[in-house]
Amino acid sequence: MSPHHLNPSSLKSRFTTRFLRALTNINAQNPISSSSPREILQRYRRIKVAADKSMAYSVRSRRTWSRAMRWKLRSRSWRQASSVRRLKITTTCHQAIMKKTAHERESKTTTGEEVGFGVQTDGLRELVPGGEAMDICNLLDETAHYIKCLTTQVQREQIAS
Amino acid sequence: MLRGLHSLETCTYNGMDMTVLERQQARLKWQQQQNYGVQNNNPIELCASSVPQIQGFLGSSFGSGQLVEMKKPEVYLGSDDFPKFVNLSVAGPEFSASKMDLVPPEAAADYCISRTSSCQMTAFQTAVMNEEREDVILKKMESTTGRESFNKRKVEAVQDDKCKDKRIKGEVEGESEVKTKCSTEVSRNSSKGNSKASEVQKPDYIHVRARRGQATDSHSLAERARREKISKKMKCLQDLVPGCNKITGKAGMLDEIINYVQSLQRQVEFLSMKLAAVNPSVEFNVDNLPAKEFPAYVANFPAAAKSPAMANLACLQFNPLQKAVSCMLDATGHPPQTATEGVASASISIPEQALSSSCITQLQPFSTWNTDPQGLYNVYNMGFH
Repeated sequence: MSPHHLNPSSLKSRFTTRFLRALTNINAQNPISSSSPREILQRYRRIKVAADKSMAYSVRSRRTWSRAMRWKLRSRSWRQASSVRRLKITTTCHQAIMKKTAHERESKTTTGEEVGFGVQTDGLRELVPGGEAMDICNLLDETAHYIKCLTTQVQREQIAS
Repeated sequence: MLRGLHSLETCTYNGMDMTVLERQQARLKWQQQQNYGVQNNNPIELCASSVPQIQGFLGSSFGSGQLVEMKKPEVYLGSDDFPKFVNLSVAGPEFSASKMDLVPPEAAADYCISRTSSCQMTAFQTAVMNEEREDVILKKMESTTGRESFNKRKVEAVQDDKCKDKRIKGEVEGESEVKTKCSTEVSRNSSKGNSKASEVQKPDYIHVRARRGQATDSHSLAERARREKISKKMKCLQDLVPGCNKITGKAGMLDEIINYVQSLQRQVEFLSMKLAAVNPSVEFNVDNLPAKEFPAYVANFPAAAKSPAMANLACLQFNPLQKAVSCMLDATGHPPQTATEGVASASISIPEQALSSSCITQLQPFSTWNTDPQGLYNVYNMGFH
């Protein structure tokens, strides 16, 4: 554990710095004195997005799930920017990607792949971002890395709170 | 040559079963006496050129204990390694050569022959190839330093004794075989003989052997290689997810993994909710979050625990906080326990650790199910639904 902490470029430190920066930004933007539920909810959403974003950017597209997450966040931010044309583009792109991944998935299952555990993999695919487009091998890899990053995130948030 | 061989033995097989090696040597000598080597000039050239590569590889292979990414499974059945086996004939005691022949990637690329053109292979080569199985086993020792391979190898060593006779019989059969039928003969031999699946470090393709009594067509071999990959990854995941040691079977493991990922995601949400709520009341101090000071976490914990919002939030929900506690347990370096199972385990494990008392005080409020302020609870519910 300790070498990771001392490593300045480790996942933990990268995530921490980004997350802190995001949190300070949020705090600076919305100095909240009251604790009304709606505001707290807003902040919660923002913080959650910030956490996800900082994690996804810390991983830096080396992993499929981080790429998928970044894409999701980006499309969400574009949607919030409420540009209709951009929205159309993103949705068409997304549809194209989904079609392609569905096709990939079909082709993979028809190549005589052993489907010993079909139902659970679907559940896993839903959980892990970007998991729809991967075969079981890669899905397991991505899951392992995703679990590792989630635990990092939770630890850091624990410390932060 | 013998000197090289002995050095190889000492450095390669530290703590390994030496009797296998000796047996193989004896068998090799016996074979050589029976039929002296193949008479192609090419193999000799191959041998000559591959020896330096082999020795070069010897040095490099011992350091690497890692698996190479598999790109494409290829049926091992004698398609590409025949010239390397021939090397064995030319330099009999060069036992190392036979082993290393599987490995040098440059040599492999040059020397690969397609299955149809394996006409050059003679009976001796088939016989020699049967030797390779044990070599492959030993080779696997170097490429994968996992415990499984050790156990497999030991099992194989035991079985080798019994199957030696069968193999010799198979070799005799192979000797009389005609060239064009080489591949099928080899496949028969490999299925008869006590071969095992092995993975060789190669940039282009993987060599997989058929196990005893199993189908040897390329599809099933490829599938078997895939399955082994998947099971290896499942084992890695088992190490990651706490509390999975007792569960056997892929389905249960996957369920457990799914639950764990869900709980982690919920934890993240819960913590970000906590941050959203806590921030206004507690001054958000950047210095509290050292990226590099692990002990600071324990020091900060009492400070964090004293904040009133913390105590309130501690009562919000049982499970996520329990998971959060389990996460904290992990964070303090405690080996991951089955903390996902019940509070009892969590509360018991806490005293075992050198956690501050504030942690225990935090646990007690939520274990007694105190009511929490309405606002926060409503917000939490809104956030979840």
